[in-house]
Amino acid sequence: MGKDDLNRLMIKKPWFYLLLLSLPLLLGVLASVLAQVFWQPVPLLVFRIDIGMVAFVFGLFLSLLLAAFATGMRRKESQAQRAIAESQRQTEEGRIRFLRRLDHEIKNPLTALRAALVNVRECKTEDERQRAIGNAGRAVGNMIRLLADLRKLSDLGERPLERLPVEVPELLQEMVDAAKSLPAYQRREVNLLISKVPSPFPPVTGDRDLLALAVYNLVENALKFTSGEEAVEVRALEDGRAIVIEIADSGPGIPPDELSKIFEELYRGANARGIEGSGLGLALVQRIVELHGGQTEVRSRQDEPRGTVFTLRLPVRK
Amino acid sequence: MSRQNPLILLADDDPNIVDSLAPFLERAGFHVMIVADGQSAFEKAQSHHPDLIILDVLMPRMDGRETLRRLRQTNVWTPTILLTQVGEASERALALEEGADDYLNKPFDPHELLARIRAVLRRARPGQRSLSAAWLLTSTELSLDRRARRASLSGQALDLTPKALAVLEYLMTHPDEAVTRERLLEAVWGWEYPAGTRTVDTRMAELRRALDDDPSQPRFIETLPGEGYRFVADVHGEG
Repeated sequence: MGKDDLNRLMIKKPWFYLLLLSLPLLLGVLASVLAQVFWQPVPLLVFRIDIGMVAFVFGLFLSLLLAAFATGMRRKESQAQRAIAESQRQTEEGRIRFLRRLDHEIKNPLTALRAALVNVRECKTEDERQRAIGNAGRAVGNMIRLLADLRKLSDLGERPLERLPVEVPELLQEMVDAAKSLPAYQRREVNLLISKVPSPFPPVTGDRDLLALAVYNLVENALKFTSGEEAVEVRALEDGRAIVIEIADSGPGIPPDELSKIFEELYRGANARGIEGSGLGLALVQRIVELHGGQTEVRSRQDEPRGTVFTLRLPVRK
Repeated sequence: MSRQNPLILLADDDPNIVDSLAPFLERAGFHVMIVADGQSAFEKAQSHHPDLIILDVLMPRMDGRETLRRLRQTNVWTPTILLTQVGEASERALALEEGADDYLNKPFDPHELLARIRAVLRRARPGQRSLSAAWLLTSTELSLDRRARRASLSGQALDLTPKALAVLEYLMTHPDEAVTRERLLEAVWGWEYPAGTRTVDTRMAELRRALDDDPSQPRFIETLPGEGYRFVADVHGEG
């Protein structure tokens, strides 16, 4: 019988547990009675030790020992149960928070779509009709983007990660170019700095497409939350243990109380309201980096010199 | 095709979807027959001989996958578009067994559906198995064993990443068709994002290196500027 079986038995059948605990004691008493009735004291010893008494004391001691052991086990058990209950509560809270945010994210485009449909039906001029159709299309686009990101997030846990050498400098250049090719960012400057001395940049092992997605999300975010005069910089270096990728901007910064929440799914900070996005970009970044055995960090200042730096640390290929 | 307007059997249990899709497809010059479950789709496919079937996956009575499997078992090779997404390797092998001619993920743009329908109809050889259901694809000295996930050139095994192999598979099962980067992203990667098109180009470069294919004089994969890619060589399917 294992420890766990014993534990279960203690919880299910307390009478059995009591019986088990007092068994040595009972046996001791029984032995002492028997000895007094049938046996003579041992004559060899000067201090006559009653065998029955020895058995009784031994039994008592054993019972106490067992009781202490059992109490310890029970306490451990209840602690474990409390921990499980706590983590279940947190999961449940997270789930409810996620659903509430999801509800909010779906509500907005649906409201826009509904209003647009009313306008299509009731509008008087062709201009109005075209505008309504355009609005409906954008609302649908927002929902599709949300759905696509939700799918990426759920896919991440399921699909096997490709583990191949990835050249980080090349990847960073590609993603910076990709972000700058968007019409809104064509005139924006992004500095790309890659340390080259003393040795060439080592590759990281991982899934190139996912790492590209993570970097892209951060570069696009940096451009999205800054305006033309503010700078965006992407830099990479190796510090012996990890490859460190930083995406920095001199934008308005993130309030300190929001810093710990921005990686949560569908969380939207005060700055992010009214700015397009699925609310899942940073959650995706964090998940991807985690899958590669790395860490994601953020630091931000709202006072001058203000700005935000996202740091990705990816283990170097051995 | 014997009929003037091809007949499409559209199976989806959501009346809002079929109610909007049917008139759209009719405007595009197709006859559309609507059913709301897999069992009816199975029966109508055998009794009405449509030119193409569009099957949703989640449907009452018999789901789309099962419907398609049973149709193929009874030797009905009507070209079929399955409204779902091909996922990872295991699912892809399953998809191969199903023998769908193309896949489209909801929510799709109706114009994309139309493009898929036209491409599938153009490729279809009536009554014959399509390339999508073939285990072994060959094109001159290039061969692709879809079951073993292996490709070889003149008998020499090619060292390809799983993604590049999946790209090759998609191109070879859609020969002589302009495949956009977005389409490849959706079919092979399962997701799309603005920088994704570059991701496709990276894999294409890998694939071309492995195939020793010169983009300026392509034997296999041609770049269509502003459009995407096209597999230009003839493809034969076996098994």
